[in-house]
Amino acid sequence: MGRTLVGGVGHYHLCDFSVGPALSERLAAEAWPDDVVVEDLSYGPVVVWHRLTDEQPPFERWVLFGATRRDRAPGTITAYRWDGVLPGTEEIQARVAEAVGGTVDLDSLVIIAAALGGAPSQTCVIEIEPLIEEVGERMSAPVERACEQTRALVRSIVAGTSPPLPNAPLGG
Amino acid sequence: MCFKNLPIDFDESGRAFLKEAIPDPYNQRDIVASPPPQLDRGKIEELLARNGYIQSKDYDPVTRVAGALAFHTVCNFKERKVIEARSMATLFRGYEVITMGRDPRDAIFITSRACGVCGGVHSTCSAMATEMAFGICPPPFGIVMRNILLVLDFLYDNPLHLFLLAGPDYSEQVVKQTSPEQLERAATWLCPHSDVHGHRTMADLMRAMNPLTGELYLDALHMTRLTREAYSLIGGKYPHPQTIVPGGLSATVDPYVMNELFLRLQKFFDFSKRVVGVWEDLTAFFYEQDPLYRKVGTRSRNLIDTGIFDHPDVYDARYENAGKWGDKRWATPGVILDGELVTTDLHQINIGIEEFVDHSYYEQWTSTRHEADPAGNPLSRFHPWNEETRPRPEGHNWKERYSWSKSPRWDRQAVEEGCYARLWNTAVGRKMPESRYMTSTGHSLQMKLPRGRLPEMEIEWSVPEDWNAFERNRARAYCIAFHALVALENWEIGMHLLRQGETAISTDFTPPKKGQQLGVGFWGAGRGGLTHHLEIQDGVVANYQILTPSTWNASPQDPWGNPGPYEEAVLNTPLIESTDDPQKFKGIDILRAIRSFDPCMPCTTHVHVSGSDRVITTDVNTCACGVE
Repeated sequence: MGRTLVGGVGHYHLCDFSVGPALSERLAAEAWPDDVVVEDLSYGPVVVWHRLTDEQPPFERWVLFGATRRDRAPGTITAYRWDGVLPGTEEIQARVAEAVGGTVDLDSLVIIAAALGGAPSQTCVIEIEPLIEEVGERMSAPVERACEQTRALVRSIVAGTSPPLPNAPLGG
Repeated sequence: MCFKNLPIDFDESGRAFLKEAIPDPYNQRDIVASPPPQLDRGKIEELLARNGYIQSKDYDPVTRVAGALAFHTVCNFKERKVIEARSMATLFRGYEVITMGRDPRDAIFITSRACGVCGGVHSTCSAMATEMAFGICPPPFGIVMRNILLVLDFLYDNPLHLFLLAGPDYSEQVVKQTSPEQLERAATWLCPHSDVHGHRTMADLMRAMNPLTGELYLDALHMTRLTREAYSLIGGKYPHPQTIVPGGLSATVDPYVMNELFLRLQKFFDFSKRVVGVWEDLTAFFYEQDPLYRKVGTRSRNLIDTGIFDHPDVYDARYENAGKWGDKRWATPGVILDGELVTTDLHQINIGIEEFVDHSYYEQWTSTRHEADPAGNPLSRFHPWNEETRPRPEGHNWKERYSWSKSPRWDRQAVEEGCYARLWNTAVGRKMPESRYMTSTGHSLQMKLPRGRLPEMEIEWSVPEDWNAFERNRARAYCIAFHALVALENWEIGMHLLRQGETAISTDFTPPKKGQQLGVGFWGAGRGGLTHHLEIQDGVVANYQILTPSTWNASPQDPWGNPGPYEEAVLNTPLIESTDDPQKFKGIDILRAIRSFDPCMPCTTHVHVSGSDRVITTDVNTCACGVE
């Protein structure tokens, strides 16, 4: 496996929806092999895509994580290797239109980067089901626990010691 | 005399005063208006029940617009026309209410979050309102750099709209679905500007407009990167800059930064030549295919803009002098009614503004906080300085209330905002500063674009005979050139100031802690003019009102039954689309009409606050489904 990009996606100061950037910050403070880059990827799908197209040599894998509401039990972790199946053109187009208008979300990042070309060949996604959506810094107890578990999971994925992730569409 | 409806007259020196002997001068009932013919709701329901060829067509959400816009129409497929049109802003905005009780400097950062594109536009407008209230003015270099920063915002916005949001409506993919016979003709239609944009036939050009894969689409996406990079050099980050303050900028700008800026800016000279060529050709092709395209999105030639890009020799941030510094802006302020420029005076523009809530989810405020502006001109009780935001999401139907957008009007008439209004006022106003690159002729704006990979080129935008969706987009293409040249001119002034040692970019100040101060930011977004009206009481915000371009354009009917600009444009739109089957109807002509305004809904709407001015309820949207 070549270079890996590890990154969270989310919103700041929005309690559980900040788990992506919050965990990015924790992980970025830790030591990583030279071929691993850790960074907060909450700056917009199109901008991240531009950044990916700059990278030489390109990343071969990215490990993304963040809060995604799928109506699961709060704190549920859903980890999978994205199957690479894109939605229809109209949906992609709508997501690009939203993204250039300021929308930030994990699904759009994966879809837009893949659709426009330049995304790493392997995409690992770790979704955390949020509970609280309000302005603030605190995370709910289940999401805080999930955050720690995700930290360990990211480490094991990068090190190649985790069990193989299932191939799945977005959402797991 | 610029007002036909408001009870305001002017003395010999031009000072405004209220006409005498009118007991309640701003009473809504006394105003005579002539709304365009539109059937009443009862008749519409009767027609819907009786005729299969009359059907409701709703767009919820309207895609490829920023934020939440729903649009309701009733179409007569036999006569191929729209007989009912309602524009609905379906989300709230909290920014005005969040600013209440805070230090006015906080509003610069709070209001930035109203939009994911125009953050810096709101920040700047807020900083201008605050500096007016504080009685301070940026140094010349601060004014110039602020102009450049905002140009960069527009150079992000306008290409994005022309190729990512509205552009796909003219792409091969869409035209193939909605009028395939035109695509056939496009294959042999040779583009007059192919030497500039590189696409030989219209079919080639339409293919380049295809979303996600088309060359023009991807090129525009690439250009947004350049503007973000350049913007971040001054603003620190995009879209919510960190360096905008009352009295200038908190950035350090030296010759190195100026060079980095120029490297990115110069790419827009060639880009704008290509964009103008593309939209000239697209417009010509569609007009040639069917003269009815001239009616798509047409409406009264009523436009408004507050002007933008202050001249460092004149701008002093004082309301009393707004008429003088407004006239010296690179983009001239102005109001156009029935195609005629009726004023360029910022005082007149300001006192003519009112907002109505008769068909919006708000309660009517009753008090009048200010009878006059700081220059002594009379103010309506519906003026933003007198306005209060009181949410009331009740009466959810077409007869009563159906939008979170209010209904701003100028002289009680529906006027539209857009960067094209900026171009139009400047072209006919003949007031812009002397320029090496631009000339206002009174009927057009001539622009000289420097050599890049393409040779130097002179282009000219002329006031159009028709006003419609195509002309909005065509004018927006010229705006890219206009904005880039304003930046170039300001860059040259900035370099001159640096050479003179005039490097100060902001002014020291002490915020007033006592008394009442009023301020207003007269500024603009990529989508058109923007105002922030501010009242400070004992050091904190006592009232704050934001009036965005899309609030004007997306507005529902006013108290006299006049539709808002989107509504009027759609009512006038013929259904040219090639299908007789209502079930297969895509509504492309309606969508072209709406999107030509470059709608942006996040900043259009307001907030529902319960119990305190800090808590925003989570129940914040009202979809269009089920409204009758």
